[in-house]
Parts: sequence; C-alpha cells; structure tokens
Amino acid sequence: MADDLLVAEGLSKVYFDVIPTPALTDVSFSLASGEFASVIGRSGSGKSTLLNLVGLLDTPTSGSLHLNGRDTAGLDRVARARMRNTFVGFVFQFHHLLPEFSVIENVCMPALIRGEAWNAELRQRARVTLDMLDLGEVAEKNANETSGGQRQRVAIARALMNRPQLVLADEPTGNLDTENSALVYELFRKVNLEWGTAFLIVTHDPTIAQQADRILEISDGRLQRDVAVPGVSAAADEQARS
Amino acid sequence: MLSLRIATRFLRTGRGQSLLIIAGIAVGIAVQIFVGTLIMSLQATLLETTIGNASHVTLQNVDEKKPIRYSPALQRGLASDRRVRLIVPDRVLSVIFSKGTDSAPISVVGALPRDINAIYKMEKHLVAGRMVSDPQDVILGKSFATKYRLSVGDPVLVVLPGGSQQKLKLVGLFDVGTSAVNDRIGFTTPVFPRQALGLGPDEYTDIQTQLTDPFASTRVIADWATLEAFSGVKYKDWQVESSQLLVGLQGQSSSSYMIQVFVLVAVALGIASTLAISAVQKTRQIGILKAMGMTDATAGAVFLWEAGILGVFGTGLGFVFGLGLLRLFALGPITFTIVLDPAFVGGSCAIGIVVSLLSAIIPSRQTSRIDPIEVIQGG
Repeated sequence: MADDLLVAEGLSKVYFDVIPTPALTDVSFSLASGEFASVIGRSGSGKSTLLNLVGLLDTPTSGSLHLNGRDTAGLDRVARARMRNTFVGFVFQFHHLLPEFSVIENVCMPALIRGEAWNAELRQRARVTLDMLDLGEVAEKNANETSGGQRQRVAIARALMNRPQLVLADEPTGNLDTENSALVYELFRKVNLEWGTAFLIVTHDPTIAQQADRILEISDGRLQRDVAVPGVSAAADEQARS
Repeated sequence: MLSLRIATRFLRTGRGQSLLIIAGIAVGIAVQIFVGTLIMSLQATLLETTIGNASHVTLQNVDEKKPIRYSPALQRGLASDRRVRLIVPDRVLSVIFSKGTDSAPISVVGALPRDINAIYKMEKHLVAGRMVSDPQDVILGKSFATKYRLSVGDPVLVVLPGGSQQKLKLVGLFDVGTSAVNDRIGFTTPVFPRQALGLGPDEYTDIQTQLTDPFASTRVIADWATLEAFSGVKYKDWQVESSQLLVGLQGQSSSSYMIQVFVLVAVALGIASTLAISAVQKTRQIGILKAMGMTDATAGAVFLWEAGILGVFGTGLGFVFGLGLLRLFALGPITFTIVLDPAFVGGSCAIGIVVSLLSAIIPSRQTSRIDPIEVIQGG
C-alpha cells in the first residue's frame, strides 16, 4: 500500500442523460509504482471511463481514488488540472498534437503548462526525450509534417516530458500498423524499465495486453479479472538489456 | 507566458482571419475618430463664431432705462470670480449717421481700446487705419464705409438721441465677417458716449463678461444673484439668448454619440463573433491542453490575449486611418478648422482596446465549458 501510486476503492460512474446509465460499477484496484498493467474489455465495457476517472478528467459518482497517497475527492478543478499535469501523462488513440506548433513545442507543452520557461534547458530536455524515441530529426518540423507513427511517438514524448509517475494510455496503438504498434509497446517498456514509470494501458490489442505484467479485465462496467502475467516483466527486462 | 504564446500562434496560423478582424476594428476606430473630431471641430468653430466675440453674461441695471453702476464692490465681485476671464464695461449709444442726404442708424460702443480688442479681437479684424485712442475717434465696418464712401481720416457726423450733432473722426475700418456688426456698429472710447448719455465716471449701459467655460453661465448667474455686490443687477445669459443654437448643438452631439456608440457596438460584435468562431475552431486544441493540465483561467486567457492583440493592432491602424481621413478631409473646401482633441482620440483608442477585451468574455467563457473527454474521444 505504501508503494501504491493509485488506489481505487468502489469506483462507480453513472451518466445521467435521459435515464441513469451506469458506466462503471464498484471497481477497486491498486497500481504500484513502476507497474505495467493493461486494461482489456469489449467496446463500451467501461475501460475508457475508468481511465478518465483515474486520469482526473472525470469525477466518480461514488467511490474513492487516491493518487500518490492523496485523496482526489476534495480537489478543485485547478488542483485536478495541476495533478493531471505533473503526476499523469496521457497517450490517446489519436495523437492529438497541436497543428499550430512544431514537434519540439508540442513535446514541451506540458512543461510550459507547468510554468517552465521556453529556454535552452527545456528544449534540451525535450530533445533527450525525442532522441530516446528516435524523433531527433523531426524535432523542428511542424507536427503536421510527420508520419502517423511518428506523431504517436511525439505524443508519447509529450506524455513523458514532465517525467510523470503514471502514464495512462487509451488505445495507443489503435490507429497504428503492426510494426508501429510493436514499436510503441517497446518504448513503453523501455520507459517503464529505465525510469520506473507506471503504465496503465487500455487496449484491444491482445499482443500488447499479454505483454503487460498484469491484466485487468472490465466487463459491463465491473472489474471481472485482475491477474498477473507471470514472467513477462523478466522477459521484457532481458529484452531491454539485450 | 503560455497563454500569450498560444494566442499569438493561433493568430499567426489564422492570418487571414486575424487581418480581417484587425481591418474591421481599424475601420470602426477610424470612423469613430473621424466623425467625432469632425463634429467636435464643427461645434467648436460654430461656438467660437457665435460667442467667441460676444458677451457670455451681460450685466445691466434691473431698470433698463438706467445705467449700471460699476461700483468697487461689483468690480471686486467680478474680479474675484475665477470663472470670469474677461470684463468689459461699455457704453452703448444709438445715433443716426448722417452724410449729405444719406443717413443710417448705428450703435456706437464705447469701451477702452484694450477691452474692445479683448472681446472683439479688433486688431485682428482691422483692415485699414488704427484703433481708437482719442475721445472723438471712431472705427466703422468696411462695408459701411464703402456704402457711404467714407475713408480713414474722414469726419463722421452723427445725430444724438436729443437731436444735437457730434462730429467724430474715422480712424480705422474693420471687417469681423458679420454684416450685423460691420453695417451697424461703430467703436469708440468710453468718453464720447459717456458725455452724450450724461453718465457718471462709474456708470455704464452694460458690463459684458466672458467666462472660461461658456456653458457655466447659468450657474454663474445663479451664484451672483445671491451676492450683495450684485444687487439691482439684471443678467443676459448667452445660453438663453442662443437657445436655438444650443438645441442644434445638442442634437448634433446626440447624433454624433449615436454614431460612435453604434460603431463601437459593431466593432464589439465583429470581434466577439470572430473570437467565438475561433474558440469553436480551436476547441480540440483547448481540450487537449486542458487534458494536459491547463487550467480554465489560462485557457480563457488565450482568447483574452487574442482580443487584446487584435484590439491594439486594430486600434493602432484605426488611429492612423482616422488621422489620414481627417487630413484628406482638411484638403477639401471646408469652412471650419479641424482641431484634434488628444483626450478624445486617446479615449477613442482606449475604448477600442477595452471593447476588444470585453468581446473576449463570451469566447473565454466558452473555453471553460470545453470538456477534454469529448475532445479526446472525438478524435
């Protein structure tokens, strides 16, 4: 519990549109620092809702969520925004880069939001991240001038810019071909192993899911299964070292 | 500052849209400066023509048949009122000009030469000869002199109200541009009318005054009416005498304000609608930024900066356009002087920028309603 980055207890979300529609019901789980977990389930099962709640993009109807030991229930909009900025990194199915800005500016955006100045030190830090993701050559290009695979990697670089303790990825390979999907997984693993960043990845891709240390399966808004995948971490560790 | 950085980038990437809105603000501010300055200048010229060379408050004896006594108490009362910028005690005498078989009624105004100059700017209007200095000197309108074939140096024979005749000497000719003065009034020293009217040394037919603020005349009269030194005095207020002119000026001002208000409303609506469209266009970007932790306030500030930048550039351009229009207009055949009022121009520019900023309120509020989840799931 002391090492738990994330503790969700009885997390529920009901949408009140025309009639109350439960999207997530009584979900409890925790995620330790440096853990690499995947969330699977059918479309509409509540995976993205869970990720939105955990990422403080949405608020639960009931239940509690502790991030880094802090109860998120009492946080106002500004405090939630700050926590999203510093504690969490998001990677979405669509890259969601800002077309008005260059690759390096997009990557620096979370740091700029945090209040850092646009200076050589910041750009250098962004370059280190971009180089790690093999994007050094496109750093000064406009975000629109890069390929689909590159854009998703830029989005990953952006998510990592503030060195978050937790990366939440919602179908990060949903729009990528097999080769780029494998590349994204490798990058996630690399960051997970080198920086100790925890990952919670919502995915339909069984290959990605099976390569996680742990699989959480959501069905009809409930957490049906929470299992560890034996040996995956050790194999990945070995692969990373080789 | 991140919001400023994003705002300038949004404006630069939507260059066409930005330039159009800047042009819109510029036209609005230019019209505001042009119309406002034109009407103010026109009114100033009209006022100057009407009351610049006239008394604002004229003091007379409450019994019109009797002269007013310019007592030391009254002198002190007038001199100590800082709202009064000019005091001209004068003696007005109605006489009949006579030359051969010709005759014409004229009013001879007797006052100190410096006072005549101060109120009628006579040295400026003198076209021949000199100002009066001796008791028998008189100056007449140039048109009057032409009509009766009079030249500087000629004797001027006048018949006094009692029927006696008096010979004056024409020492100068003036042209004040108003036939009512040029054809019917002559100026002399206070001595001759005093003798003709049989007045004492401190007695005058009236005391003319000009105020630093002509529109304060009614208030000034009300104040004087309560003072002991002013007892037995009757007042003529230029605002009452020229009430029709004032109604005209007020109508002009109202129409000017209407035009200016509508121009500003049009500018505000233009900016607000463009920014609102921009906010909709940038919903995705704002949503992503908010997902990354940007606060509602910073997101709203983006549009405030956009409005501020558009306002400053639009207003600056409008200022230049406005001055250019006024300069062009001044090249034409106009009968009044265009005077640029720095306070009005500065105020117009400030209003332009403030209106621009106010126009950002709706788009800024729009951004706080942007839900990052909808943007993320929308793709």
